[in-house]
Amino acid sequence: MNTTLIDSPVANVANIARALRATGASLDVTRDADAIARASKLVLPGVGSFGAAMSWLIETRIDHAIRTAVANGASLLGICVGHQLLFDASHEMGTTPGLGLLRGEVHRFEGPLPVPQIGWNRVSGGQAILPVRTGKIACPPLFEGIDEGTAFYFVNSYAARDAASEIASAEYNGRFTAAVQQGRVFGVQFHPEKSSRAGLRVLRNFVAWN
Amino acid sequence: MELIPSLDLLHGRVVRLTHGDFATAKVYGDAEEVLDALDVPRGTRLHVVDLEASRSGKPIETDIVRRLARRDLIVQVGGGIRSLDDAKRWLDCGAERIVVGTAATSSLLDLLVTTFGPQRIVPAIDVRDGVVRTDGWTRESNITMREIFARVESLAIPEALVTDISKDGALRGPSFALYRQLNAMTRVKIIASGGVSQTSDVISLARLGNVSGCVIGKALLERRVDLHEARARLAASNAVPERVIPCLDVRAGRVVKGVSFVNIRDAGDPVECAMRYEEEGADELVILDIAGDRSSIDTVRRVAESIFIPLTVGGGIRSVEDFRDTLRAGADRVAINTAALHRPELIAECSREFGVQAVVLSVDAKGGQCAVHGGKEVTNFDAIEWCKRGEQLGAGEILLTSVDRDGTNSGFDIELLRAATSVLKIGVIASGGAGTLDHFRDAIEAGGARAVLAASLFHDRVLTVGDVKRHLEAEGIPVR
Repeated sequence: MNTTLIDSPVANVANIARALRATGASLDVTRDADAIARASKLVLPGVGSFGAAMSWLIETRIDHAIRTAVANGASLLGICVGHQLLFDASHEMGTTPGLGLLRGEVHRFEGPLPVPQIGWNRVSGGQAILPVRTGKIACPPLFEGIDEGTAFYFVNSYAARDAASEIASAEYNGRFTAAVQQGRVFGVQFHPEKSSRAGLRVLRNFVAWN
Repeated sequence: MELIPSLDLLHGRVVRLTHGDFATAKVYGDAEEVLDALDVPRGTRLHVVDLEASRSGKPIETDIVRRLARRDLIVQVGGGIRSLDDAKRWLDCGAERIVVGTAATSSLLDLLVTTFGPQRIVPAIDVRDGVVRTDGWTRESNITMREIFARVESLAIPEALVTDISKDGALRGPSFALYRQLNAMTRVKIIASGGVSQTSDVISLARLGNVSGCVIGKALLERRVDLHEARARLAASNAVPERVIPCLDVRAGRVVKGVSFVNIRDAGDPVECAMRYEEEGADELVILDIAGDRSSIDTVRRVAESIFIPLTVGGGIRSVEDFRDTLRAGADRVAINTAALHRPELIAECSREFGVQAVVLSVDAKGGQCAVHGGKEVTNFDAIEWCKRGEQLGAGEILLTSVDRDGTNSGFDIELLRAATSVLKIGVIASGGAGTLDHFRDAIEAGGARAVLAASLFHDRVLTVGDVKRHLEAEGIPVR
């Protein structure tokens, strides 16, 4: 199955493409809205400003294409700002609506640690993966083979907190959502393409998932 | 780990002495006013020392202790407690615990423990150069640390206050080595006292494992440490791993390395080195184009294409365009150095254009001043002032290299690092001088650095990145 990488100008597409290829993905890198709407496996990258990234999606109608693909059963992985775009809205410089595929909003980190967060941070199983009654912690497919507390590389000033779809969280000026999954929609706040072996494993898990 | 504000009282006022010398007393004002000014919340444990009593042997400041206890503060009080009656007087004033110094070496300690219980007694042990001191620091005792801790342990006393008096009030950092030594010697938990002068000291003490509390006096009064900020950073710090960064000094497509930027020699192929370092667990990679003419842009591209960890690139970045080209070649962050000294606005311009996270300010310090042109020329910019300016202008991190130490393997310049980390909110990468595993630990623990960088040590395979990370972890410093 081909993986379609959305060629956003507000993203580090080359690095993510290289990382995806390293996991064995056969890759289409495109900004063609029709191709994106037909895709069965999508990656939405993003760095920098939420507003700029969202504007580009709207201008190119790729926002609709993504929603169409997801409605038709495609799986989707948002990375960094691409992950933030999955939510209802972000409060970066005013309030900007996002793709609205997941419930929740993105807020600025406030607290004693310097913002942006730049560096490695440990990720723990979030609320969605704790079916406490069975006494077992189900591993979400994205984190197959990844140990609890594994560190990933983050660069962000904003994050969602306590998202209902949270599958992993991390601590920085309080607890924030590090990864989400709802059905076939996934997102990671960290940069898997800069997180060495663990990051490549997450990408491979997404690429291999059916 | 508990943060315990400390008030030394003399003639009804909060004062500080340096090295226990009464002649050096600096007055800060009335105790309650000081607590209000420091915004000390209810329920906080306070360490109160009656200085006059410690000299004369008679409790003097009982009224103040009574008032503090009434404010819902948990007061532990010390100074001149030499009898059961002295101790009883303090406890009657509302003190929760009593701190006994001189008495800790006498039979009075047993009596106090039998009468009031081990939980209410805190033995205070003053140490200078590994020797226990008594009587307001003026007399050497003939009991060893090992003996005194064996006694404390046998009396089931949970915590002892340990002051390295050569460090106290001097704001040069706590005695990490002493507390580590005690960790191997005793199960008694340590309340560390003396030398805490910046927030990173608090975090480093907490990482030692056997330190259950940390007394902060002068640093709070002088506003070098904010109680609330320190508590919050303490809560967050263990989740954030510290980084180990190999540095590739590159010229003409090869990795090179010299001593204090001269006597350059070949140290390998950049791509091979980079891939090996990632494999060993490097958290990030730095490439410095030491020719300073950006002739290594192709090398940057090749390295960027072969690794999956963050890459920072510096050397010869003179404009926003240079910065952009370097990012396009695959760098995640770009380090600016000389050009920013000529035109500081470059930092702000790049920070606005590419984000704070992309901007690293590289500062080469030589004798406390900024050096340029690979360390050959010294400017009249003060290195620390320049770091502060860089932070204000929008740098996301400082790469601080001691040119004096570079390539000498004699250790990072801890004083330089402390000078920088005590005034900056953004992180500092320590560079220049790494020679042993402990040097890396010290740069983070004592220097307050958030990352450690080395070059020749890794190139020459004296140590591997993995060796350093394992050592840091064994010493209680979180790593990836």
